Amino acid sequence: MIANEETMRHLMVKAQGGDKQCYASLLAECEKWLRRYYARKINPSAIDDLVQETLISLHRKRASYDPTKAFLPWLAAIGRYRWIDSLRKIYRHDHDELYEEMVADPQEESVSAKVSLERLLGMIPEKQAEVISMVKIEGLSIAEASEQTGQSESLVKVNIHRGLKKMSALIESE
Amino acid sequence: MSNLSKSLIDGLVDELEPVKTIKPTAGLLVAGGLTLTAMAAVATALGVRNDLAMGMADEMFFLRSGILLMLGLATAFAAVNLARPGVGNLNRGWIWALATASLFPITAVIMSLINTPPVEALRPTQGMLCLAVSMISALGIGSGLTMWLRQGAPTSPERAGWLVGIASGALGAAAYNIYCPFNDIYYIGLWFTLPVLASAIIGRLVVPKLIRW
Repeated sequence: MIANEETMRHLMVKAQGGDKQCYASLLAECEKWLRRYYARKINPSAIDDLVQETLISLHRKRASYDPTKAFLPWLAAIGRYRWIDSLRKIYRHDHDELYEEMVADPQEESVSAKVSLERLLGMIPEKQAEVISMVKIEGLSIAEASEQTGQSESLVKVNIHRGLKKMSALIESE
Repeated sequence: MSNLSKSLIDGLVDELEPVKTIKPTAGLLVAGGLTLTAMAAVATALGVRNDLAMGMADEMFFLRSGILLMLGLATAFAAVNLARPGVGNLNRGWIWALATASLFPITAVIMSLINTPPVEALRPTQGMLCLAVSMISALGIGSGLTMWLRQGAPTSPERAGWLVGIASGALGAAAYNIYCPFNDIYYIGLWFTLPVLASAIIGRLVVPKLIRW
């Protein structure tokens, strides 16, 4: 199991202050997270190298992490950059087109947003977070969510709508 | 975890030193400081426009200065924020500043279509001086911004290149602006647009190569 956002953020803040024990734990967690992150993106035989390169980048660029922001989107951005860079090295002659395509890929933005989902859900009212988790993440129907939470079906819909709107605003403001 | 990963992590942990987090305000201070230096250099080498020296500057001077500084500040702000990757760092305010600044060349084109401007209104000799001094100032400001960005982790080098180019072009033109005595829209639309445009293109071509990590 991989540590959650809050734990990793805490470890990173301590690591920026020079705490070696926290840094060792953080890097071990990041190693696991990156393996999973790259698993669907590249050839399995290349994962080891890319994970190690990303850990080195994390180390070199650790001052660029803003402790007031979520950690996993930062790690995902570093990971995505190293991944694109590795593809760029392989397909150097197609560099510009490939790079722009990757950077502009809205699906990648949604991946980054997903990793901070847990933290975002903690920042909106509990009733809204509860129904968003049930309907949008677990896949329950509106009626099932209504039955489980005791909220009326229309209230479930309103709470999902308001919660998602707040989460979008939070992402924009981060 | 593989042995290789484990030994790498051990090595990185051994090397760990406390770090100060990167603050975008420091990047803005670099851009601001270099702009003031460029303005001081222009004032020393060329002087300031007469109406400004007498404290009675034309309204066009204030409009031009405000728009160039706003464009420079908005794009520099967006550029320095790219040093810290993460979700939601969109900072799209610079697009509005660019749209506002484009009113000068757009107005100049519209006015030219209505009343063909006399060739002397474009003042090619003075215009070339404007372009040269603005570009030299932009080079200094852009170099400082690029050096500052190198310590960060910009994950969109091409976008950073455009932004650094536009910011340094606008701030460089703002530095020359304190000397430039001309107020007509044809002159401003041409000679204050060119340095921003040229600097943006140079920034896009050169900066990404310098800030990759």
